[in-house]
Amino acid sequence: MRDEIRKIQDMMEAAEYVTDAPVATSVHLAMRLRKPLLIEGPAGVGKTEVAKVMSRMLATNLIRLQCYEGLDVSTALYEWNYQKQLLHIKLDETARNNRPIGEKEHEIFSEPFLLRRPLLQAITQESQAPVLLVDEVDRVDEEFEAFMLEVFSEWQITIPEIGTIKATHAPHVVLTSNRTRELSDALRRRCLYLWIDYPTLEKEIRIIERKVPGVNARLTREVAKFMETLRDVRLAKVPGVAETLDWAQALVSLHADHIDEDLVNETLGCFLKDADDLKRFRAEVTKAGLAPFLPARG
Amino acid sequence: MAARELSSAVVRFAALLRRHGLSATLVHVTDAVRALDHLDIADRGELYLGLKTIFVGRPEEAPAFDRCFEAFWRREPDGEGIPGLVQIPPGETRESDATLKSSGQKRESLALETWGTGADEGEDTGEPLSVPAASDTEALIGRDFATFGAEQLDEILRLTLKIARRLAHRITRRRRPVRRRGRVDIRRTLRANLTKGDLIDLRFRERKRKKVRLVLLCDVSGSMDLYSRFLLQFLFALQSVFGRVETFTFSTRLTRITDHLRARSYRQVLRRLSEVRDWSGGTRIGESLAQFNREWPQLVDRRTIVIVLSDGWDTGEPELLARELLRIKRRAGRVIWLNPLLGNPSYEPLTRGMAAALPLVDHFAPGHNLAALRDLATKLSL
Repeated sequence: MRDEIRKIQDMMEAAEYVTDAPVATSVHLAMRLRKPLLIEGPAGVGKTEVAKVMSRMLATNLIRLQCYEGLDVSTALYEWNYQKQLLHIKLDETARNNRPIGEKEHEIFSEPFLLRRPLLQAITQESQAPVLLVDEVDRVDEEFEAFMLEVFSEWQITIPEIGTIKATHAPHVVLTSNRTRELSDALRRRCLYLWIDYPTLEKEIRIIERKVPGVNARLTREVAKFMETLRDVRLAKVPGVAETLDWAQALVSLHADHIDEDLVNETLGCFLKDADDLKRFRAEVTKAGLAPFLPARG
Repeated sequence: MAARELSSAVVRFAALLRRHGLSATLVHVTDAVRALDHLDIADRGELYLGLKTIFVGRPEEAPAFDRCFEAFWRREPDGEGIPGLVQIPPGETRESDATLKSSGQKRESLALETWGTGADEGEDTGEPLSVPAASDTEALIGRDFATFGAEQLDEILRLTLKIARRLAHRITRRRRPVRRRGRVDIRRTLRANLTKGDLIDLRFRERKRKKVRLVLLCDVSGSMDLYSRFLLQFLFALQSVFGRVETFTFSTRLTRITDHLRARSYRQVLRRLSEVRDWSGGTRIGESLAQFNREWPQLVDRRTIVIVLSDGWDTGEPELLARELLRIKRRAGRVIWLNPLLGNPSYEPLTRGMAAALPLVDHFAPGHNLAALRDLATKLSL
């Protein structure tokens, strides 16, 4: 393994992010090839975390563009501070100065009246390239997706009233998607791709050990095994790593050192968040008990 | 290994990937060659992960990539250094479906005629008629279609219409004005600021969104016989209350029945549909979907929800099914697969066709009773 990849892995571990070779390799290549990294996977497996850790590793700013349905260019790029412009005109009127109209116009369409939104912020960083996190990119529509592609390829933005702003440093881009919508092939082509699945048993054990203080080895193993089995039950809302950690934390607070049926029933709400799932799980446990969910003895 | 040799190996590897359905473009190849400088190419695992992050663009492509990688970058490079192209073993050979077809052709004209008239084909399911409960409607809603007799057709149709209306309402619901975000709503802004003398308080409007279209692909092969008569009613009901629907049936080939369904009554629909052949035959889902992609590509865009109603019993190639479904999925807003068999708690989607289709489907839901169709409402917005 390359030293750089190992180093990334070590740095990620140091930044409290339990990782493995695929994640480290993709992050390494994304930074080397200067390509956006598209991360997909089920909810709650730590996709967003990758960007946060990257920014910590590079000791640079993290700029986050949270996507949602109906996100448009002005909210992502820049907006004119309309209210401020109006007030400025008003004040200007009361001052009764008779400057030419063009000058006034130039004044209110200048940087102090510009509201920088994430994409503009990302390309106007002074010291070094930031990490730009485009979170849940599957929620925007395809027009916006196309617009982002344009920004990513040129790294310059034209504001008609001011002119073209070129990136001082091209940002490191991380896009995440929950696959609620299929992204365009054009976007996929431009990105490196990383699929993060639910963690393996070993990885989840490491995550619990790392993130939940005061948890003992037996409880860790049991929780991890339990979650692994639970994800195979056909659930509407499959619990992610966040749920695992919440639950482990709850069990530790209850001074539990192993799992039993009463404990599970009391703390179900930590990892099952859907009424039908609760019902299905209860039926499963009444039928076969907890045994299938726990690690084999010995 | 010399750099030039390695680069040309990457080019040939990309060609192999292309032959197995991945879109390995020139950009990918350039990236891969550049990436070689940043990877430890003596470490096979690292080369694998590196090339994978570059060439694979969606999880569905991972198995094909893995197979190609396994075959191309052999574990131990022998004397020549670079492995040649290795033929990937083809998938399972196609089963003969000749018998299914011939018996199906005899049946297809028969099956439809009996639907409207109430003469059942003697499928006695042994299910006792449900006792009229406090709410007869509720009892009907929860019952598996397979257990209904044809005499209950009218009652089912009434309920189906009700559900379809609710679905349609859900899809067409318009956007209301919002307090923030979106475009400035000039009209509302002016009205809100009438007493203020200036336009300070801005009103916004969400962007108007394109309407959602439904494309329904309904399996009417022999194995679906018990269900398709009710699903067809559902299609009819949905189309009569909701304008933007395109409906197709398929068994061994695809038929567009959108125009047939534009009738005033369901019985009229059945009469019209009797001209359409190919009912209750064998199933070739893959080929039917291929035909759909070939002949009706313009029907599917991002604002389209594609609903496949089928049990997944496919006598064709599962790879073909997967490939054609992926083509639909790439363009559609959402792909929903309704499988009547899913209503049976012991059912596992193990048929080869279903197994191939499953990873490509956004929602896999039962479609065996009215409740299942009603639950569809939550999935029908984009």
